[in-house]
Amino acid sequence: MSSAAAGETRSVPTYCYNCVAGPDLMTVEVTDGVATQVRPDHKATDIHPAHGRPCIKAYGLVQKTYNPHRVLTPMKRTNPRKGRDEDPGFVPISWDEALDIVAAKLNDIRARGLLDEQGLPRVAATFGHGGTPAFYMGTLPAFLSSWGPIDYSFGSGQGVKCTHSEHLYGEFWHRAFTVCADTVSTRYIVSFGANVEVTGGVCAVRRHADARLRGIKRVQVEPYLSPTAACSAEWVPIKPKTDAAFMLAMVHVLLHEVARERLDLAFLRDRTASPYLVGPDGWYLRDPDSGKPLLWDTRSHKAVPHDTPDAVPAIEGRFEIATAIAHGPDGEVYQHSNVTARTAFDVMVEAMRPNTPDWAAAICDVPAATIRRVALEYLDNACVGETIEIDGMTLPLRPVAVTLGKTVNNGWGAFECCWSRTVLATLVGALEVPGGTLGTAIRIHKPHDNRLLSVKPGQDGFMASTFNPTDREHWFAKPTGRNAHRTLIPIVGNSPWSQALGPTHLAWLFLRETPPDWPKPTAPEVWFAFRTNPAISFWETAQLSATMATMPFIVCFAYTFDETNHMADILLPDATDLESTQLTRIGGTKMVEQHWHHRGVALRQPAVAPQGEARDFSWISAELARRIGRLDAYTAALNRGTTTFPLQGEHYDFSLRPDQVHDVDTVWDAVCKAATAELTGGKEIKDLAWFKEHGWFVVPFEQLDWYLTPTMQRLGLRYELPYQERLVRTGIELGRRLHEQGIRWWDEQLTEYQGVPHWKDVPGHWVQSVVALGAKPEDFPLWAITTKSMPYTTGNNIGIPLMNEAASNLRGHGAVTINASTATQLGIRDGDWVEVSSPIGTTTGRAAVIQGCRPDTIVIQGQYAHWKTPIAKDFAYPSLNAIAPLSLVSLALTDATGSGADVVRVRVRKVDGPARKRA
Amino acid sequence: MVADLRRCVGCQTCTVACKESNATPPGVQWRRVFDIEAGEYPDVRRVFVPTGCQHCDDPPCLEVCPSTATGKRADGIVTIDYELCIGCAYCIMACPYEARYKVDDERFAFGDDATPNERKRADPRMLGVVTKCTFCVDIVDAGLAQGLVPGRDMAATPACVQSCISGALRFGDLEDPRSGIAQLLAENQWFRMHEAEGTGPGFYYLWDKAPPL
Amino acid sequence: MKQTNTAYRQRYWDLRAAGNFIAGGTGTGLVFVSALAFATGQNVLVPLLLGLALVGLGLSLVWLEIGKPWRAFNVFFHPQTSWMTREGMLATPLFAAGLAAALGFAPGFAIAAVLAAGFLYCQARMLRASRAIPAWSHPRIVPLILLTGLAEGAGAYLVLGEPTRPFIVLALVAASAREIVRELYRRGLSAAAAPEGTLAWFRRPEERALQTLRIAAMVLLALGLVGNTLSATIGGVLAALTGWGFKAILVTRAAYTRGLRIPRTPTRGRDTARAVEPS
Repeated sequence: MSSAAAGETRSVPTYCYNCVAGPDLMTVEVTDGVATQVRPDHKATDIHPAHGRPCIKAYGLVQKTYNPHRVLTPMKRTNPRKGRDEDPGFVPISWDEALDIVAAKLNDIRARGLLDEQGLPRVAATFGHGGTPAFYMGTLPAFLSSWGPIDYSFGSGQGVKCTHSEHLYGEFWHRAFTVCADTVSTRYIVSFGANVEVTGGVCAVRRHADARLRGIKRVQVEPYLSPTAACSAEWVPIKPKTDAAFMLAMVHVLLHEVARERLDLAFLRDRTASPYLVGPDGWYLRDPDSGKPLLWDTRSHKAVPHDTPDAVPAIEGRFEIATAIAHGPDGEVYQHSNVTARTAFDVMVEAMRPNTPDWAAAICDVPAATIRRVALEYLDNACVGETIEIDGMTLPLRPVAVTLGKTVNNGWGAFECCWSRTVLATLVGALEVPGGTLGTAIRIHKPHDNRLLSVKPGQDGFMASTFNPTDREHWFAKPTGRNAHRTLIPIVGNSPWSQALGPTHLAWLFLRETPPDWPKPTAPEVWFAFRTNPAISFWETAQLSATMATMPFIVCFAYTFDETNHMADILLPDATDLESTQLTRIGGTKMVEQHWHHRGVALRQPAVAPQGEARDFSWISAELARRIGRLDAYTAALNRGTTTFPLQGEHYDFSLRPDQVHDVDTVWDAVCKAATAELTGGKEIKDLAWFKEHGWFVVPFEQLDWYLTPTMQRLGLRYELPYQERLVRTGIELGRRLHEQGIRWWDEQLTEYQGVPHWKDVPGHWVQSVVALGAKPEDFPLWAITTKSMPYTTGNNIGIPLMNEAASNLRGHGAVTINASTATQLGIRDGDWVEVSSPIGTTTGRAAVIQGCRPDTIVIQGQYAHWKTPIAKDFAYPSLNAIAPLSLVSLALTDATGSGADVVRVRVRKVDGPARKRA
Repeated sequence: MVADLRRCVGCQTCTVACKESNATPPGVQWRRVFDIEAGEYPDVRRVFVPTGCQHCDDPPCLEVCPSTATGKRADGIVTIDYELCIGCAYCIMACPYEARYKVDDERFAFGDDATPNERKRADPRMLGVVTKCTFCVDIVDAGLAQGLVPGRDMAATPACVQSCISGALRFGDLEDPRSGIAQLLAENQWFRMHEAEGTGPGFYYLWDKAPPL
Repeated sequence: MKQTNTAYRQRYWDLRAAGNFIAGGTGTGLVFVSALAFATGQNVLVPLLLGLALVGLGLSLVWLEIGKPWRAFNVFFHPQTSWMTREGMLATPLFAAGLAAALGFAPGFAIAAVLAAGFLYCQARMLRASRAIPAWSHPRIVPLILLTGLAEGAGAYLVLGEPTRPFIVLALVAASAREIVRELYRRGLSAAAAPEGTLAWFRRPEERALQTLRIAAMVLLALGLVGNTLSATIGGVLAALTGWGFKAILVTRAAYTRGLRIPRTPTRGRDTARAVEPS
C-alpha cells in the first residue's frame, strides 16, 4: 500500500537515462530518507510526448540503489595476476588512497608524455552504451578534456551492436545519426528489424500506439516476431541479412514497374543529385572552369553547372557533352570531350534493373508478390503532391517511411540497406519532410544539439561532411587510436564520438592478434571504464576477457563486482542514479525517437544520500583534476560547457574561478543558471534550488525543426544521393594508401565504396566464416541472431532482480528461441535445455519453442552468461556473444564502416540441464 | 479498467509500477502482461494481454471465501480483509483469472535480507493471506477524498494506469457516460476474458474500433 | 487461429489439501458404510471410529496448510455461499453423531451417515466451485467425488469391518460406478477442452497404472463374490488406495488452470483482427 509506509514522504523529480532513448522524466517517492518507489512525473504530461511516464527500467532504480552487492568503498587489487580464474583480492581503501594511486599513475604518464612510442594515447577510457554514461558521470567529461588525448577505441559493443552504418551514412546523407519515421504524421512504415516498441523509448511507444489507432500500416520485415512485429499490421519473416535484396527490389519496383510521374520528380530534381551528369568512367562531369558538377538544363538544352540559376535540370536521359572535366582520386583531373553522359538517376535506374522482386524472393525467402506489394503500398501511401502546414509553413506531406534495425543497418549489407532506405525516401520526396523518414540526432558533426545548424554548404552543392583524410599527404598512416578509425574509416570522421563509434572491436582484436603488416598496438597504461562491461557485451567474450587481463592498470567506476572490473586495479564507487547530481538536455529531436514540442533541461538530483562511501562523479572528477594539477584546465572545460551549456554567454556569466575546487552543488548551480539563461536569451534564470523543486525547465521547440529539408531548401543544397561519387573517390584513395603500406587485408572492405550499390552475397559472409574457422558449413545449418527486451535494453541493469522478474513474463527471456517445427525435428520441447554451438564455442540455455520465428533461425535474447556479476551469475542464460567470433575471422565480417553484426551460423541440440550435469 | 490490446506492447512497465506501488514481494504480480501467440508459422499473431483481478460483478472468489475476507465495495472494487483471511487459498482455486497470490514467508529481492526500501514497506499483514490487485484502492480513495476523478486525475488513478507508456490501460467509472472509459467502450469493440463463466469481469479488452453503423 | 496454452499447474494446494479430500472421502465413506452395516447388525465400532478419525485427519492436514492457522475459526463465517464453510460446519455434528453412535446412541448412526454424505457432498462442491481449475469445476466432478468416497469407504470397510457378501456387492457396485463416472468425467473434460496438462494425465503411466489397479480391484471384488474373502479384502484395499491415488493426482498434478483466453487478436493499425480458438 503506498500509504502504508509511515513517516514523512516526499516526491523528488528527477530523470532516468539508462538507455539512449531517454531521458525519461520521473519522480521518486522518498519516505524518511529511503527511496521507496518510482512514479511518473505527471507535471510533465503536457510537455512530454509520453506524458511524463518513464519506461520500465526507471522502476528498477530503487533496487539498484539498495542492491546489497554494491561496491561501497574504494578498493584496490592485491593480487597482481589478472584473469577470470584469479581472485583479484580487492581490499577496501580510503578515497584519499585510491585517488592518490590513480593520480600517481597519471602524473607519471604526464611526466613521460601523453602519447607512447607508437603515438598512441597512454590513457584509454571506455564508457558504455550510446553515450548514456555521459548523463551519469557529472563533470568527468571536463576532467577528460583537461587531460588531453585519450584513446576511446576500446568499445563495449559499439560498431557491432549499434546501428553503426546508419550512424555514419545517415549522418552523411541527412544528418541522421539515428533515423526514425515521422510517426505522428506517417501512414505507412516498412520496418526492417527496427524494434521500436522495445528500444524506441517511451516517446516512440506512445507515438506508435497513437499511430496504430489512427490507422497506420507498419510492415515489419524480420526473421523473428518481435514485440514490434507483434504490434505491426504485417510480419514478413525474412532470411537474416538479406534485407538489402528486399530493399533493392523495392527500389527496382519504383523505378521499373510504375510510371515515372508517380515519383516525386521535383524533389529528385531539386533536392538530390539525380540530375548530375556522370561520365563514362563513373565520375561526375564537371564544368572545366569552376569544377562544379554539370547537369542538363532542359531550358537551354545544354550542360550547365549544378547551381546555375533558373536551370531546369533533366532527371533522366543521355546527353552529349562537348567538353568537361572529371575529378578522380588524389586530385587527378580527367579531360573529356564529346562524351555521352548519363544522369546519376539514369545510372541508378540501370543498376537497379536486375533487382526484380523475383530475384530478391529467391534470396530473401519472401514471395516476390509480397515484395512487390510492399513497394507499391509504399508508393500508394506516399501521397506525392500533398502538402501540410507546419508552424505556418507549407511543406510536402509524404507519410511513408522505411526504418532499419540492428543487424540490418550494421555489418555487411548495411551500406546497401542504408542507401536503399534513403533512396526510397527520395524517390517519393519523403526524406526529412512531414510524414517521412527523419534523422533525429547528430554526433559526427557539430553542434551536437542542433542538426539543422550543422548543415553547412560543402562541395558540389551538397552539405559539408567531415571525412578523415585519404589523400597521400594527410592520411593517418599511423593510427591515432588502437582501432585505427582515422586510418581505416574515412566516413567516421573525427568528432569526439568518432573514435568510440568504431570499429571498436578492432582495438580489442589488435591487442591480441594483428593482420599482416600491422604493428601490434601497445596496451594503454591506464584504462578507465564506467557503465560498461565489454567482457560480457562484446564477442568471443572468453578471449576478450583474457585480452583485458593484459592491461596493466585499470580503473573502474564500480557499482557491483562484474566481469570487467574483475580485472581492475582500482574500484571507485560512484553515487548512482538516485544519489547524484547532473543537468541534462531534454526534448527537441534527441536520439532514437523523441520529437518534442519543447526543449530544455532536466535535473538528476540526490533523492537519497549515497550509500556507503559512494561519491558524486563531479566530486571525483574535481579531486582527480586537483591531484594531477589540472584544476585550471578542468574548470576551463566546465566554463566552456563540457557539461551541457557554456557557463558564459551573450546574456550571462556564471563562469567558475579556475583556481579553486568547486563543490558539486556550486558547479551544477552555475550550469542550471547558464542553461536557463541560454534557453531564454537571458530572460529567465533558474538556480539549482529551483530545479531541485521543479525538476525540469523547457521552452517551445518548433515542429518545423524536426525536418531538415526546409533548411536544405533554404541553403539551396542537395542530398548526396543517389550516386556516391565521393565515396568511390574516397575508397580508391584509401585503397591506394593501404596498398602503399602493403596492407591487403582491408581489400574486401574497399569494394563497398560503390557509386550505386550492387548486391553481393551478404549472408554468404557468415557461411564463409564457418569455413574460415575450419569447420563445415553444413554442420552449422541455422542462423543465430539476437534481440532485446525493454526491461534490459541497454540498461546496465542486469543485477536488478525486478527487471528479471518482469522480463520473465516475456517469451524467450533468457532462453534459446526456436521455431516449433524446427524444434520438433530436433526433438526439442519447450523448456528443454539446449546447446547452441558455433565453430568457436557453445552456449546453453532453455528452449523457448514458438511459432513466431523462422525455421532456419534461432534467437538468443539479451547479453548474459555472467560469471561474476551478483544475481546475474546465477541466471544460467545463454549468450550469443559467447559464440560470436572476435578474431581475424571477424575482420572478414567487418564492413567498410568498421561494423559487424550479431549473426552467427550455429547448430542446436538437446542436452542435459546444469542441474542434471551436477548430479 | 480498460486494456486496449491495440496499444499494449508488452513492456511490463505496469507490472513493475504495480509491484513498487504495492510493495509486493518477488513473484507476486497483481498486474502482469501475458505474452501470447496465436496461429502457426508464418501466419502468427503475438498479443500482449494485461491481466489481474477483474473485479468481477459476481466474483467467484467472493462466493467461495469461507471467512468473508473477500468483499466487494459499492463501487465494484473487490477487496480482501487481511485481518479476516485465513490463507486457505480456496479463492485462488476459484479465480478464473489467476489473479490471486499467497506468500507464507517473507521474500526479498536480493535473498534473505530486506533492503532499506523493503524494510520500509514491509507489511506483515500480507503474509499467510491471499493478496491481489486492489485497483490501488488507497490511491483511488485518497484522490476521491480530495475531489479528484479516478482515471482523469492521475493522483486518483491506479499505479498501473498511471505508468502505462502506450496509453493502453485506462481506468474510470463505467457508470458515468461522460467518463473516458464509457466513451472508449462505446466507440470500440471489446471482449471480456472468460465471458462464458458469467463472472461479469470489470476488465474490458479493446480489440478494434466499432463497426460503422 | 489457435492460441498458445498459458495454463499452468496450480501451486498453492499440495498433498496436505489433497489429504483432506483423500481422508475426508474415505472417512465419510467409511462412516456411511458403517451406518449401513450397523443397520444389518454388524459391529462397526472400529470402521466407524476410523472413519471419523480419517475425517479429522483430513481437516488437520488442511489446518496445517492454511496461512493463518490461528484464525481457523474464521472458516465458519460464510455459510451463505462457501462450500468450505459448509464442510467445516458439518464436521462438528458429524463427529458428535459418530461418537454418540459409537457410545451406543443408535440414531447417531443414521445422523452420522447423513452428515457424512453431506460432508462429502460439500467436498465435491468445493471442487466444483474452483473455477480456476477446469479439472475440478467440471459438473461431473460431483458424482465422481461422491462415488469414489463411497468406493473407498466400502472398500476399506471390507478390511476394517466384516466382508460379508452384501458389502462386497456394495464395494463392487461403487467401484464399478466410480469407473463409469470417471470415464464420463474424462470424456466431459475432453469435450469441454480442458487444459492439455489435465488431459495428459489420463494418458500418463501413473494414471494408467491406477486404472489397472482399479480394474484389478473390481476383479478381486468379483472373485470375492464367489467366496474368496481374501480376494475381496485385497480388492477393497485396492479400491480405497486407488481412490487416494486418483485424488492425489487430481489435486496436485492434474490441476491446471484455465489459462488466459483471448477470442480475438487486436487490430494493429491497418490489419484485420482474427478470431482465436483455444489451444
